[in-house]
Amino acid sequence: MGFLELLDKKLIKVPLENFSKNAVLEELINIIDDSGKLRNREQAYQDVLKRELLGSTGLERGIAVPHARTEAVDDMVMAVGIAPGGIDFEALDGEQSSLFFLILAPPHQAGAHIEVLSDIAKVTKSAAICRLLLASADADEVIEIFEED
Amino acid sequence: MKGPIKNILVYIDGSEASISAAMYGIALSKSTGAALTALYVINTRALNDLLKARIFIQEEEAEYHRDLEDDAGRYLNHVKKLAEQKEIEIKTVSKSGTIHREIKTEIKENGYDLLILGGVSSIRSRRDEFFNETDRAMRSVNCPVLIIKDEDSVWEIFESI
Repeated sequence: MGFLELLDKKLIKVPLENFSKNAVLEELINIIDDSGKLRNREQAYQDVLKRELLGSTGLERGIAVPHARTEAVDDMVMAVGIAPGGIDFEALDGEQSSLFFLILAPPHQAGAHIEVLSDIAKVTKSAAICRLLLASADADEVIEIFEED
Repeated sequence: MKGPIKNILVYIDGSEASISAAMYGIALSKSTGAALTALYVINTRALNDLLKARIFIQEEEAEYHRDLEDDAGRYLNHVKKLAEQKEIEIKTVSKSGTIHREIKTEIKENGYDLLILGGVSSIRSRRDEFFNETDRAMRSVNCPVLIIKDEDSVWEIFESI
């Protein structure tokens, strides 16, 4: 299972409504919870926070990939959030983060989890794609950007 | 042994589709007498990329690496048991690296005349970034490739032999 199989219009939020790290993580987890794909919302949130304590998943150039292996999901799930104004996510380069890809995977799906994270690493290398995502108005536009051939 | 198929490689990644591919390979081996090998590749390229991109920290990379090694053992063992059920000899191979490159190298070094894969991804995007490793293997190897679809019928074929 790759990135595109996980891309779901219902799990994309443009723009994000919150402006702090933990609130954004909660907002993304709530999107997944609202879709009925979480068995335990609080556990999912705590597992993501636990991973963040080991080191921020706020990367460079405004990209953040919070992720966790958690018993709170039966299958891998991804929420995408865009905050055009940027949020302090304690990113490695000290810059604000704008593009968020939150991935939750059950403990036994290591291979598929790596594949999806790897897809994100590859696609976000493109400055053009990141610029398009930042300018997108809604979830449909986000999907179009990834599916464009 | 008759016919063009004498040495079959089946790629296993732990997905249900790849297990179906293995079952089909066992059935094909039974009917043709071809030798059968199952290959699992630990995707250390992706692990390294994730470390470089800083999506993973060192201990995460090590933890996932261990899990993938365990997966390799578990899935290859499962396939071995399926082959034993049908009294078919199967060789299992575990490698590490970039998946499609390792598949290509394995084929080149051991003269397989058929690669069996468990399905390819649906085309939702033509962006290079989203071609998965199975797709890349299918495109890059220099032997015939069999893509297995319809897991239910594969199950029936496997049960019938």
